[in-house]
This record gives sequence, structure tokens and C-alpha cells, in this order.
Amino acid sequence: MAIKNKKLNLKDKYQYLTRDMAWEPTYQKKEDIYPDERFEGIKITDWSQWEDPFRLTMDAYWKYQAEKEKKLYAIFDAFAQNNGHQNISDARYVNSLKLFLSGVSPLEYAAFQGYARVGRQFSGAGARVACQMQAIDELRHSQTQQHAMSHYNKHFNGLHDAAHQHDRIWFLSVPKSFFDDARSAGPFEFLTAISFSFEYVLTNLLFVPFMSGAAYNGDMATVTFGFSAQSDEARHMTLGLEVIKFILEQHEDNVPIIQRWIDKWFWRGFRLLSLVGMMMDYMLPNKVMSWAEAWEVYYEQNGGALFKDLERYGIRPPKYQDVANAAKNHVSHQAWSTFYQYSQATNFHTWMPEEEEMAWLSEKYPETFDKYYRARFEHWDKEHKEGRRFYNNTLPQLCQVCQIPVIFTEKDDPTVFSHRQIKHEGERYHFCSDGCCDIFKNEPEKYIQAWLPVHQIYQGNCGGADVATVVEKYYHINPGVDNMEYHGSPDHQRWLDIKGLKPLKSNSEKKSAA
Amino acid sequence: MSYTVTIEPIGEQIEVEDGQTILQAALRNGVWLPFACGHGTCATCKVQVLEGDVDIGEASPFALMDSERDEGKVLACCATLESDVTIEADIDVDEDFEGYPVEDYQATVTQIVDLSPTIKGIHLKLDRGMTFQAGQYINIELPGVEGPRAFSLANPPSRADEVELHVRLVEGGAATTYIHQQLKEGDTLNLSGPYGQFFVRSSQPGDLIFIAGGSGLSSPQCMILDLLEQGDDRQIVLFQGARNVEELYNRELFEGLARDHDNFIYVPALSQAEEDAGWQGFKGYVHDAAKAHFDGRFSGRKAYLCGPPPMIDAAITALMQGRLFERDIFMEKFLTAADGAEDAQRSALFKKI
Repeated sequence: MAIKNKKLNLKDKYQYLTRDMAWEPTYQKKEDIYPDERFEGIKITDWSQWEDPFRLTMDAYWKYQAEKEKKLYAIFDAFAQNNGHQNISDARYVNSLKLFLSGVSPLEYAAFQGYARVGRQFSGAGARVACQMQAIDELRHSQTQQHAMSHYNKHFNGLHDAAHQHDRIWFLSVPKSFFDDARSAGPFEFLTAISFSFEYVLTNLLFVPFMSGAAYNGDMATVTFGFSAQSDEARHMTLGLEVIKFILEQHEDNVPIIQRWIDKWFWRGFRLLSLVGMMMDYMLPNKVMSWAEAWEVYYEQNGGALFKDLERYGIRPPKYQDVANAAKNHVSHQAWSTFYQYSQATNFHTWMPEEEEMAWLSEKYPETFDKYYRARFEHWDKEHKEGRRFYNNTLPQLCQVCQIPVIFTEKDDPTVFSHRQIKHEGERYHFCSDGCCDIFKNEPEKYIQAWLPVHQIYQGNCGGADVATVVEKYYHINPGVDNMEYHGSPDHQRWLDIKGLKPLKSNSEKKSAA
Repeated sequence: MSYTVTIEPIGEQIEVEDGQTILQAALRNGVWLPFACGHGTCATCKVQVLEGDVDIGEASPFALMDSERDEGKVLACCATLESDVTIEADIDVDEDFEGYPVEDYQATVTQIVDLSPTIKGIHLKLDRGMTFQAGQYINIELPGVEGPRAFSLANPPSRADEVELHVRLVEGGAATTYIHQQLKEGDTLNLSGPYGQFFVRSSQPGDLIFIAGGSGLSSPQCMILDLLEQGDDRQIVLFQGARNVEELYNRELFEGLARDHDNFIYVPALSQAEEDAGWQGFKGYVHDAAKAHFDGRFSGRKAYLCGPPPMIDAAITALMQGRLFERDIFMEKFLTAADGAEDAQRSALFKKI
């Protein structure tokens, strides 16, 4: 037909620029070149239906990213030169950065590895290119996060060995095992897990709390990183949507497989986010919103709209969504109590909320906080003030799947721990929930291999026979300096010095033990 | 004061109210632009300004680079207009879109027909023929009614100066009340057209499904008349939904077409026919009639939907569950004063449906 528009649209331009980047193999079979594309049972009938969500040439990509970096590092430099750490709301805030740096930044790196790997697995060129670009984005995020926070490492404790700690510290096996599970899955499950469930459905619940938290607490370096990353995240979210639509439309046999993965990765993501919930409600001196409010906006409303649209493909909302929705009023309190008790083995400080923070929690959690949690916290606070700061020396039972201690409670009764167990090939396995137990039952041969930190300590595989040795030698945590109670810690002392509330100490005493 | 933005490459022109962003104006006028965050941080909605002055608003420096600002790029989600503007957006031109120019016409009312208890057929003679694609609509100005109102053309393009509109009386609707109660034969009105992206994609193979509800029959009527006049030999099935037999208008027209054309099938469906002993046809909603007719399998076909939002929504769900997806579904939603101002919150999963 006649050409009505002389101008090509962007999609056509992109296609002309990239059309010769892929080719049909002649002397090797496609199945041999892409051996992992089939074993998950996903059927792709026509890769040409893939709509490239990025539409970026490599040339343009480098140009954009280079300018982002230039701006970002100019702000990091200004932040460092102006001693930006002195302008944060309170030094307790830095502990959320310790959690981010050891819990989240290594996941960006794991995402980089994951996308680089699956970017090799698809016979469709569009999906390969999208994964490769996202891999580079993730590597950039991991690096820039470390650089954003490196300034704090000069002034506060506990930020010195995040990558090592991610591999070893007990609770960091929660985020680590999440990504290891995804990366050891097939390429389509990886994309469903990370691009769709994580980047699209749950990313706002991870990013908004940390980045708004940074903004509310005067941390300009991290806020700026957040803006720089968010311009990439939109592409990642678009990829997540394209992936799910593409797979669901390719063949109806894909629908039940995707449903099982959505169930699994929603639940794993929900469990992982308990750490974020605790950070929002307890670790930010200036609060952004409560975890329950964030869950309502970003999951119940946004996720609700998404799953309503997905119903048209025959996909239903994730299994156990009701349990997750009901838990929004409990998880942050239960997680913080656990970290408070086990703070001798964390890489950050913990503390009991101050009176006005307790009042905020009562207001935000009218149904649960006063009824179930306040008394315990007031008791611990009193014990601490009387010289008996509580630390729990009994190592907890971990869930075989999410690796979180079995600390969460039943949906219908917050006074009863949710604990499931099954026998598999003569061994007994423990779970925090039906959600995690179901995941195990679908793939027991995968999860019986889980490296559970508590089991490993008891088996003598973590450098020592007692917690103190494991923490110091195996985790690279300086006990009493990097962790335990915040009040009276070197970080606390230094903050009082910075704010002129106590006489400044000399630099030589910096980073000394309490 | 408001300005006009012309969106290339589709050439669609829309009014942007004072303080409205380009994205808001586009979405409200049914023009889909890519977007995600909606507040200037993600750059998904980046567009090129070709002509005119734009205030870039609160675009993040990481989402809209300095070099891009120099090139005239803006983020549609935070850009506002300071003059009439032409932008180029990352949207596809439909190769079946003919892009006939919008012009102003004078129309004289020649006949007003009671099609059903709530729907009138309005016949207008234009001062000259209008070139349009079957399925498109016109904007008409009515005395005492602020702003033009959109109605789909029911006459085929071959009757270029004999406009036929189907107008359902909407409770509280100023324009439809005027048309039903005051408009009379011999009145003259101003209208402009043609508008819209609802037309048959002739270049796309596949048998055709039309699903119409209420006065949403107008566009499918025009499209089917045109297809049959052109001798199109694909199978065409029209599902027409109405509450009861009184509301089922133009039935004789389509029964006649079905007799005369082997490739045309007409399936009327009544949603409130329980007590109607005389009704031999399908009882239930129109999307269920389509499901029953095709045994729930629609793949390989193209579907054109026209009617009120709940009908469209139910039809899309039925089609998708029968393996027909966004690229194969085209629609015109009839929004009226009776519909809520805002749809329920939507995800970004679908662009057009």
C-alpha cells in the first residue's frame, strides 16, 4: 500500500536499526543452541509476537546511562564534601542503610547475573536483548548503591563488609535464598519471578520505603540514587508486563504453569518484604507511612487492579493472598521483636521505639499494636533501663523455604505461631506457613538442599561452636560495635558528638568499641 | 485558556485544558500514550516536541536529560502547553487508518425515527458529502448544550451526505434530552468529523465478530453495511444485545442482510427475556451469546466491540478467555453522563482494551 507517513515511527526505526542483529542458524539446531528453553514446559509458538518494551539501541543506552552517572556522582561528591551524613534525621537511620547495603544491593548483583544468564537462553532475539540491557542496569544499580552509601562507611560502623555478610549472616540468607531460588530455576520462571512478581508486582514495596525513607530522613545521596535507578526501573517493569502477557498468549498450556509460579513468587516476595516492613515501621526515625498503609496502596489496590486484568487470561490472584493481606498488621512488629532479641547476631543496631513512636504505632495499628505488641516492648524497654537488655541465645527454627525463623502467627490467631511440618524421604522439614510448605511440596528435591544458617551453625560449619565466635569470625561483625543495642553504642556516641550534645572526641577514637 | 496538541504520527488533535498535562489530556481523549510512573521520574512517556512551546514541569533530571531538553524532548506526564503544540510520540500508526481530514459541516434534520422506547434514529442531510471510514464518529453541537457531543455514524460511507445517528436517552444527559424532546425535522445543526480510531482493519486477515450493545449498534451497522457493499467474503457474525424485544431495534434490517448474504450471521440476545414466551432467540448477555455461538473459542478472528463500558468489559473477558488477545480486539466505548467519571483503577497490563 502507499506510504502515508514519510516518517517512521519509533518502533519501525528501532526495527530497522536492529533487524540484522539476530539470524537463523544453518548448521546447528535451534534446540541445541537454546537447550534450556523447553524443559519448564512453557510453549512458545511465535517469538515474533514479542514486543520489545525497551526500544533502545546500545548507542542510545550508553549515552543515557553515562549522563545519569555523571549527574549522580556529582551529587555523591557534593554530599561527601558537605558532610551530608551530619544532616540526616538521626543516626538510627543509618541502620536501614546497613540493611539495604547487605540485604538489597547484593540482590541487584544477583539480578545482574541472573539476567546475563537467561539473556543467553531465549531463542527470541527481543527477549535476549531486553535481558542483556537489564543485566547491565542491575550491575549499575549494585555499584551506585554501594557508592551512595560508601560515605557513611567512613563515619558509622557495620557497613564495612556487606557482600561477605550477605553470603553468611543468618537473616541475609532470606534475600539471598530468594534470588538463588530464582537464578537456579529455568529462564521463564526466572523472568516470572524477578521481572514480573518482583519488579512489577512488588517493587514499589521495596523501593518506595527505602527511597522515600531516605528523603524523609535527609539522606540526599540515597535519594539521588533512587531517582537515577527509577528511570531504569520503568523499563524493568515494562519488561515484567511484556513477559507475562507474551507467555500467557503464546499457549494456553502455559497458564497453569504461570499460575503456580505467581503463587510461589508472590508468597516468597511477601515473606522477603517483612524485612522492609520492619524497616519502615521501626528503623526510620522520620516515618513515611506505615507498612500496612504501603501494603494497602501498593499491593491491595495496585496489585488488585493488575490481577483483575489478569483474570482475563484465566489467572487468579495469588494463592494465600488473604493470609498476606491479613498479616499486614502484624509482620513488622513480629520481625522487629525478632531482630531486637537477636541483635547480637545482626550487622546493625536495634532499639525499642521511643514513647512518641509507640504512639504512632498505636495510631497506625489500632487493631493490633496495643493489644499484642506494646506490652512486650514496654517490658523490654524497662528491662533495658534496669540494666538487663534482653538478648535471646537460643537459635530459632528456620523455615525450609523462606529461611525466616518460624516467628509469624496464624491468620486467625496472632497468639499462635504458624508452623507446618512434613516428612519427606524419612526427614522432617519445618515451614513458617502453608505458602512455603506448598512451594516445598512442588519441588522437594530443590529445597532439601537449602543451606539453613542455624542448622549450619549447629553442624559446626560456621567457624565456631558459639554465637559470639560465629558472629565475629565467620560473619565479620564487630560485636557491640556494629550491632546490639543502639543506645550507648559508638554510633550513638558519635551522633551525639556530631550534634554537639557531647564534647567532640578526637578522630583517633573513632570506631572504637563501646 | 486551552490549547490544542497534535499527536504525530497518528495526527490526532486534542484540546488540552489549562493546567492539564499532555498525558492527562491524551488519556482523557482516548489517545493512548506510553506511560508508567505518572510523575516525571521514569521517562516512559518521553515525547518529541516538533512545534510550539511547552513547559516541561517537574521532570526529573535523571528521566529527562539536559541533552534531551535541548533536543526538545519532554515528559508528557508533567508537560503543560504554552501554545498550540505538535508532538511526536512512540505510538504506532495504524496502516488501515486513512486519516481523512476533519471538516465542519452544516446538517439539516430530515427525519427522526423511534427505533426503540429509549433510542431515536436521527437522519441528517449534510451540505456536502463527508469522507470517512466506517466505524468513525462525528462531533455535533446542540443549542444550549455546552461543548460538542460525539455520536457514531450508522450510515455507510457510500451514503456520504446522509448522516444517521442512534441516540439513546440518558437520564440527566443534556444533549440526549435535547435530541429526544426538542429536536425536530428541519432544524439545522453544526457538526464536524470524521473522528476516531474505530474502523475495520482491512489489512488484517481473519473472520469478523461484532458485538454491539444498546445504541452501540450504530458503528457495527455502518461497518457491516460497508463490508457487505464492498463484497467482503469473510464470515461476519453480529451479536446484538438488548434488554428486551422492544429495545432490539433494526432487527429486520439484519435479518434481511442475513438472508441475502451467506457470509453474514445475525445473533440477537436479550438479557431480560425470562418472561418473554415469544422470544425464541438467545436469552442472556450478549457476550454469553458469543461464547455459546463459538463454543468459547475465538482465536484466529478479529473482534469489534461497541457499547456501554460494562458490556465492553464483559465481552473482552469472554474473548480473552477464548484466546483472542489485545491485538485482535478493537472497540468503541460509549461513555455517557450516567457513567462514573473515572473507571476503577486499572493496571498498565493493557494499552487499548
